[in-house]
Amino acid sequence: MAFYEQHIHPKPTTFLSKYIFSFDHKVIGKQFLWYGILFLFVGGLMALMIRWTLAYPGQPFPVIGSFLFPETGGAVPPDTYAMLFTMHGTIMIFYAITPILIGAFGNFCIPLMLGARDMAFPLLNMLSFHVAVISGLLLMGSLFTPLGAAAGGWTSYPTLSTLIGSPGVGQTLWSLAIFVLGVSSTMGAVNYITTIITLRAPGMGYFDMPLTIWGLGLTAVLNAIFLPVLGAGVLLLIFDRVFGTTFFLAGAAATTGTGDPVLFQHVFWIFGHPEVYILILPAWGIVSDLLSFFARKPAFGAKATALAMTSITILSTLVYGHHMFTTQMSPLLTQTFMTLTMTISIPSAIFFTNWLGTIWKGSIRFHSPMLFSLGVVFVFGLGGLTGLYLGTVTTDLYLHDTYFVVGHFHYTMAASVLLGGFAATYFWMPKMFGTLMNEFWAKIHFWITMLGLNGVFFGMMLVGYGGMHRRIYNPFIYEFTQKLIPINTFTTWSAIIMGFAQIIFVINFVHAVFFKKEKASDNPWEVGTLEWTIPSPAPHYNFKDIPVVKCGPHELGNPNVIGKDFQYQTEELA
Amino acid sequence: MTTMVVNNHLEREKMVSSIAMVMTLVSFSMLFATLMLGYVAYRFTAEVWPPLGMQRASLGLPTISTVIILMSSFSYFLSENSFLQGKLKAFRAYYFFTLMLGLAFMVSQLFLWKNLKLIGIYVDSTVFGSIIYAFTWIHAAHVVGGILALLFLIPSIRGTRDGGKSQIWLQNVGQFWHFLGIIWVIIYFGIFVF
Amino acid sequence: MKNKIFTEPVLKNTENLGFFEMLAPPEDISANGHLIDWLFNYTTSMNLFFFILVCIGLFGFSYLYHNKRHPKPYYTYGNKKAHIIIATVIGIAVFLCIDLMITGFSNNHYTGVFINWPDESKEDVVRVQVLGQQWAWNFRQAGEDGVFNTQDDIVTLNDLRVPANKKVVFQILSKDVIHSLYFPNARRKTDAIPGRITRMWIEFKKTGNYEIACAEMCGTYHYRMAAKLTVYEEEDYGHYLAEAGQIHRAVNDPEDGQIYWGWKWTSASSSKKIGMNK
Repeated sequence: MAFYEQHIHPKPTTFLSKYIFSFDHKVIGKQFLWYGILFLFVGGLMALMIRWTLAYPGQPFPVIGSFLFPETGGAVPPDTYAMLFTMHGTIMIFYAITPILIGAFGNFCIPLMLGARDMAFPLLNMLSFHVAVISGLLLMGSLFTPLGAAAGGWTSYPTLSTLIGSPGVGQTLWSLAIFVLGVSSTMGAVNYITTIITLRAPGMGYFDMPLTIWGLGLTAVLNAIFLPVLGAGVLLLIFDRVFGTTFFLAGAAATTGTGDPVLFQHVFWIFGHPEVYILILPAWGIVSDLLSFFARKPAFGAKATALAMTSITILSTLVYGHHMFTTQMSPLLTQTFMTLTMTISIPSAIFFTNWLGTIWKGSIRFHSPMLFSLGVVFVFGLGGLTGLYLGTVTTDLYLHDTYFVVGHFHYTMAASVLLGGFAATYFWMPKMFGTLMNEFWAKIHFWITMLGLNGVFFGMMLVGYGGMHRRIYNPFIYEFTQKLIPINTFTTWSAIIMGFAQIIFVINFVHAVFFKKEKASDNPWEVGTLEWTIPSPAPHYNFKDIPVVKCGPHELGNPNVIGKDFQYQTEELA
Repeated sequence: MTTMVVNNHLEREKMVSSIAMVMTLVSFSMLFATLMLGYVAYRFTAEVWPPLGMQRASLGLPTISTVIILMSSFSYFLSENSFLQGKLKAFRAYYFFTLMLGLAFMVSQLFLWKNLKLIGIYVDSTVFGSIIYAFTWIHAAHVVGGILALLFLIPSIRGTRDGGKSQIWLQNVGQFWHFLGIIWVIIYFGIFVF
Repeated sequence: MKNKIFTEPVLKNTENLGFFEMLAPPEDISANGHLIDWLFNYTTSMNLFFFILVCIGLFGFSYLYHNKRHPKPYYTYGNKKAHIIIATVIGIAVFLCIDLMITGFSNNHYTGVFINWPDESKEDVVRVQVLGQQWAWNFRQAGEDGVFNTQDDIVTLNDLRVPANKKVVFQILSKDVIHSLYFPNARRKTDAIPGRITRMWIEFKKTGNYEIACAEMCGTYHYRMAAKLTVYEEEDYGHYLAEAGQIHRAVNDPEDGQIYWGWKWTSASSSKKIGMNK
């Protein structure tokens, strides 16, 4: 393929062109980062309210409870509880993780790591952010509608999400917001793919790209292919709600309908399972790179890792049915989906061997990005292995829709992605904002987060194994869940600890961005990928002269190099 | 390494936009593919189709729509060809013809919806009605988008855009326009004929 | 501050439970629930083995190759023959030890037991029709005539009574939104879907009072969609049927169309399209 040289854009001068309507991928990346962090806060607060209710049902939520829920004296009412977990899921998946990992680091890293001056379509890139803002406003607006926000779970299964189950306008706004966000992400994805194909610096083959780019690129492919599937699903849902079509209405509830609510589940999970990988692939890529950078040796089997990611991407499109075992699909489909699901563990096992192979005989520097990356390996190990119970039909008959599922997907999607996101933030901080974050507090942040996070998500799996089902407001109702109350309380306190640990991060981050005097050097981590060949923070044109790539991204610890233990990608392999 | 550096401005724009266009069309295809998948699922699990009490929509109007949209695709093809051969007059004529056919398609859709109501197929009359309306609505919305895309060719018509650039614009808008034609033909055969 | 929606629950004594008793899943009362427990434990032991391997690698390497202890990294791309063989062997070992095994077991259990519908023409089974609605479970048993949707049906709300040691076949439907009929004590759940009948069969082994829940989010009061399950000895069940039949014949108002929500029973073994019927 080919590379072309982009023009150097004139430096933006006004506030609007610099910070709001900027074409610069780095600024758009930062915009997405702030957007994501804002929603992460909202979603996290919702999580704490959910956890509080599960441990202390009927007791007022501390501090802000009486302000938010005056009519119950501060306790979360059951209908609000349903809205909370619906919005928590939606916000975390679509408005926090997606913007941070794909929006922020995708935008920021792709051109820099490829040696390009900007994305292939800067205007499209800018629009993608502004469309995401509109979507965010729609979603937050739904919280203030008369009957409240969507309350059918983030999966929004009909017929609960049709007018039968949720008459309010909130659910319509939810669907609309998701559709608009899908448009935004698809725009981003088209841009990412085009950029990766056409803008790799001269000399950079696909296997010379950092694995981060592999992860982000595969994510973009999945986004471009499967977001429209969800788009079609929610579009039909909107039609059902607004225009009176009967796609998902059936049974006694539908007056004239002959629709099929299960069809939505099929459509949702055709999208939904790849979505899991959309979220985790960038984190995998980032972690694979960082492990190598901080172990000071080349990534072990980098090509195999890239190919394993690709095969997982392909497999992820074929296994969605394991989310629907309890809807009683035909036995043949059930068996097929189970078997296909199991094959995912082969590429996953390759990841783990390669990750461990990377740190094997390395010379590991335990800086904060490395700690978070090692954390990802740990939590993704737990998350991946617990998935086996759910991919198996018979154990899924018991565990489906219990907290075990919640714990499992939080381990894979929330824990690994969150830790991956933190690793990325700590790592690219100097290139983004020109300063390093405080290492000491970063490490404190890591350890407390790690403790809290495992407490929360392991606790969830334990109560799930105990039989406690999802999305219930009050576990005291059932006898079989009553003995799980101590674990629920433990989980809640872990969540509170984890929540408070993020204050450390926020203070550290805000301090580094706005107040820190001490500037970072151009290459504080001593790694050789292209973004570290330019000044920190990256100038608006990125590269004055387009670099020519002569070696791979993980050239560390080469004994032939004298004077330093790494090589820039622009240097001839020693 | 197999990389070549392209510094020809037009070459590169052509390459970039065609890659992006392919990805965009893949996205749009997935949207329609999902809809068709849903239709197939309804169709094959239904015992009788159309459901009891429903009658099939008459083929007249959809056939007219099909003819119109195929003609518009052909006209677009001729328009692009005449542009490439430098026959600007023919280019303009075919372009306006395409635009008119696009509008005519929308009018035929309006008649179709009116006609459906006349024979008692409403949005909420079973999933049969829902499918016909929803699919044609979604397609029509894309056709409106397509017509707007055609309007972006006006600078090429007026000659204020340079030739190479016009060529790229023509090619990309054309791909989208032909794509909409193909989708309509699939809808026509899938929903109205079978 | 207690709102009236928070009914004070009767708490069982959970103080004295040991840690592992607390974690244990609800008591298994079904004939086949142990298969699920067994597979869970098998997967757990395999997972533990491989996770411990990962941890040994993760923590061991982190300790051994700290840059203070190991300043000179080993420069390798991991593409030597030995490396590739080790990676492949581990990948295949995971696949063989866990995935293939559990797929095989699960497949056998699933087709051999859980969807191996009892042949109702030969076997004496208890038939129950279940209708989920927001937020309650309706149960219907055919009564004396053995035909569903007639006046002598035993229709109960949130109260299911079945005999032990006899296969109970459920046909499940929903009136409004999707629910999921969940028997924690039998390790089973099946969705109740509007417009299509789903099935489940369970053989209960232990008598007593247990709980039924709704596992699929179905609205604000999803958490309260609980029902009682009573498992009788065969003999007691006979008494119950006789008694309940009489009561229901008296109570059921034939003019009231509402009570005839049942449907014609078709046995699963006779209908080929399980799960696809609408």
